Amino acid sequence: MIADPHTVHADPRMRALGEIAVRVTLEPWALSRLHHQAWLAEGLTDEDILHAIMLSAYFGHLNRIADAVAVPLDYVVQLTVPATDPRVPALAPSPVAVTGRPAIDPARRPATVAALAAWRTYMFDRDAPLTRRQRTVLARWVSHYLGDGGISSPDDLTANPIDTALRQLAEVVTLAPWQLADATFTTLRSHGLDDAALFDACAVASSAGTFSRITVALAAMGRDRA
Amino acid sequence: MGLPYFGYAESTGMLRDIYDRMRERPMPPVYRPAHGGAPGIIQAHSLDPALIPKVFGTSTTLNGAGPLAWPERELINATTSRLNQCLY
Repeated sequence: MIADPHTVHADPRMRALGEIAVRVTLEPWALSRLHHQAWLAEGLTDEDILHAIMLSAYFGHLNRIADAVAVPLDYVVQLTVPATDPRVPALAPSPVAVTGRPAIDPARRPATVAALAAWRTYMFDRDAPLTRRQRTVLARWVSHYLGDGGISSPDDLTANPIDTALRQLAEVVTLAPWQLADATFTTLRSHGLDDAALFDACAVASSAGTFSRITVALAAMGRDRA
Repeated sequence: MGLPYFGYAESTGMLRDIYDRMRERPMPPVYRPAHGGAPGIIQAHSLDPALIPKVFGTSTTLNGAGPLAWPERELINATTSRLNQCLY
């Protein structure tokens, strides 16, 4: 399964959970009511599905931060870890903006909703190292790439060279985090951003991605078709 | 390569306090690194110590309560990581 995440499990419940992780990671905007109904038919409950969506979106943040700092694996694994391939093409951006009510109310996990809200406030409600405006630029581009129609379009923000570089960083963090490398940060460094500010930018983009993936997946499951 | 991060021995102030608090969290032994410090994924956030409790507080709500069982959560985490071309 780790070698090939598209492996089809014999157990319907595990198969459905694996598919949720695949969809949330690759194309949350492409979900529909049909997926929701299929997962229910395979034995999952709405609580299972909500838990799986939030967990996959959350783990995507850990992946992105691990990539940003290139932290080495430091725990024992039982299996040989397959090699990752930095040449893998970027994920496709969403072709649509998804809006609508969530098919499953996230308030069914009140502790997680509260924790995400505290995380969101920390990410967006401060002016250092990045400014609020720069945080907004990053979050709007991330939302754009993920099809989060509940967030304003990034196009109404006046572009300057730093905005352009932030957009490029948001794109890599969201759609190709495995390509994060020193070169990714060259332009922003040339504009004066230090390590703390660069990490802040990665964390804002990654966090925004977690929040938008959950929102988009839940809203997309309320539609008849993608 | 990538951005820098700081282990326990290099930590001071708020980061040291947070590392100490994170060490007290309940954690399955398999997740405790042999080096005895904070797990690498926590160290990965060390450029912004105040972010650590926000991120891992969310983890507690997702991994400390069901309905999904531990193997099911690991299936989701491993699938997500593999698709993101990440070892973590």
